[in-house]
Amino acid sequence: MTFLDIRNVSKHFGSVAAVSNVSLEIARGEFVTFLGPSGSGKSTTLYMIAGFFEPSAGDIRIDGAGILGLPSNKRNIGMVFQRYTLFPHLTVAENVAFPLRVRRRPQAEVARKVEEMLALVRLDRFADRMPAQLSGGQQQRVALARALAYDPPLLLMDEPLSALDKKLREEIQAEIRRIHRETGVTILYVTHDQEEALSLSDRVALFNHGRIEQVGKGRELYEQPSTRFVAGFVGHSNFLDCTVAARNDHRADVVFPDGSRLPGTPVHRGAHAGAAAGLMIRPDRVRIGARGAAATSAGVDAVLSDATFIGDTFHFVATTAWGAPVSIRVPASAPMPHQHAVGDRVRLSWDPGQARLFDN
Amino acid sequence: MLLDFARLGSWRLLLGLIAALVGAFLLLPIALIVALSFGSSQWLQFPPPGWTLRWYEELFADPEWLGSFLTSFQIAVVVTVLSVGIGAMASFGLTRGEFRGRELLRALFLTPMILPVVVLAVALYAFFLRLHLNGTFIGFVLAHLVIALPFSIIAISNALERFDRDIETAAIVCGASPLEAKIRITLPGIRLGLMSAAIFSFLASWDEVVIAIFMASPDLQTLPVRIFGTLRQDLSPVIAAISTVLIALTAGLMALAALLRKDARS
Ligand SMILES: Nc1ncnc2c1ncn2[C@@H]1O[C@H](COP(=O)(O)OP(=O)(O)OP(=O)(O)O)[C@@H](O)[C@H]1O
Ligand SMILES: [Mg+2]
Repeated sequence: MTFLDIRNVSKHFGSVAAVSNVSLEIARGEFVTFLGPSGSGKSTTLYMIAGFFEPSAGDIRIDGAGILGLPSNKRNIGMVFQRYTLFPHLTVAENVAFPLRVRRRPQAEVARKVEEMLALVRLDRFADRMPAQLSGGQQQRVALARALAYDPPLLLMDEPLSALDKKLREEIQAEIRRIHRETGVTILYVTHDQEEALSLSDRVALFNHGRIEQVGKGRELYEQPSTRFVAGFVGHSNFLDCTVAARNDHRADVVFPDGSRLPGTPVHRGAHAGAAAGLMIRPDRVRIGARGAAATSAGVDAVLSDATFIGDTFHFVATTAWGAPVSIRVPASAPMPHQHAVGDRVRLSWDPGQARLFDN
Repeated sequence: MLLDFARLGSWRLLLGLIAALVGAFLLLPIALIVALSFGSSQWLQFPPPGWTLRWYEELFADPEWLGSFLTSFQIAVVVTVLSVGIGAMASFGLTRGEFRGRELLRALFLTPMILPVVVLAVALYAFFLRLHLNGTFIGFVLAHLVIALPFSIIAISNALERFDRDIETAAIVCGASPLEAKIRITLPGIRLGLMSAAIFSFLASWDEVVIAIFMASPDLQTLPVRIFGTLRQDLSPVIAAISTVLIALTAGLMALAALLRKDARS
């Protein structure tokens, strides 16, 4: 059943449409991230749920009840901000206690809850510290404890880890996953780091220009991107210019600029016969073969123009007959790479079902 | 930097000497007054022929001096409270508000700082004449509030600008009403700014003399006004004593302000 229901929500700042007609249904206990480039409307959408902005249009419901009429302090939502927002004059324990104190909970309950929350974020021993005496990662964990202290059914997080270094970020990501499991709280998490989005969440909503381009599991976004933007944003990808020669239901035959023809590439929408299109293929799905040997598989001829070894993978760049670069990744464990050197004339091939065609 | 003190070499000696001379030039009159207040000479002889606390005894025995001291103190305290209160509200409006003419309003609030005090004094005098406020406690307070307020607004606005607004927002998401969040979170967060606003407001009123001369009546005189008036009649060492008291209080408050600034930086 839908817990958080975002319906056709828009937000305009003057003539700027920060969010346009966003709809999303989130189930109780789900972990959803908003992923997207800077300025795509992720924070604005989150802030409308938190009550900092009023939508220009649309409705937001929690458990079927509209929340737009309620001020922020009555929405009973938890939030962790991008910047450090601990109350600087209060101890760690008093920071966590604050939401309970404004709710006038009895002292015994406050003390018990503070202890429980600090244990949850593994900072029990820091109860009496002042915020200025904590590292950035510790401060964000206290902020998380504070946001969960009053058992809000919904937790909003706006790039809470963006100020931390990579190692610490991964550490706290694991903590957040654990806390999500243990508490069952519904989480909406904003990030522009796709790795973070993919590793944390059940579902990802990919934002672009104030709209949601696609919602789905990380794997779905990677393997079945529904727009060219999604294909380009999630994971690495090659786009090869081509022309649609023929089109049936979900597949199309394309012709590359050098005249070679490739049948059977999946199409999500658009790409009508005769149109210019872009064929998307992931670098790790491209195979490198000897020219002429197995020309039976779908593919194009190219010349290897660069080869780099980056730890666990080989990264090749090949240039097609019409000068388009194609990036290829091969696991170092595969036996093949040693046979190829820069300057080799090769045949690049792939399983047609793994490529995707998008309108240009 | 071009003028890095550490890299000046032997020029540092000269610089130190000049600084010492300027310091001495500024401090010598004060030191002199303090010394004279403890000197036994009736005629403010220097160096004093002997030492005594006589002038302080006379000072604290004189109800007129005590009255003026109290008047000054009461006015300064009321001015401080009003200046910090109004200054805080004005600062919230000026730093958080988004309205046309905000910068103009800020400039307007700060004009008493650049306006010649005499001009301000004459204007207030003429204005208060119609309201029958000259020579009254309220008149004093209002007049001093005009010159104290800019100090408050500068100190509190600065503190408010440095205070991350997301912290207040976080308190609101936690369930606090906007007013509760301001009182329980934002005000304690800018307390150093509030305290320095209080100190400078107090001092602005405490040692103000020009406006006070216009406002004063025979039975309502602040300390600086009485010092000024007494000086013109006779040059008694009691004046040196009261001046020393004034200096001590001012210096104490300035030291407190400096301490707060140091605290804010660390
Ligand atoms: N208060 C505001 N007034 C005017 N325009 C705003 C305001 N807040 C956001 N915008 C605009 O709305 C658009 C979306 O901004 P938003 O902050 O939601 O982006 P975002 O996806 O969170 O980006 P980032 O990753 O940089 O945080 C941007 O073009 C931004 O300039
Ligand atoms: Mg943002």
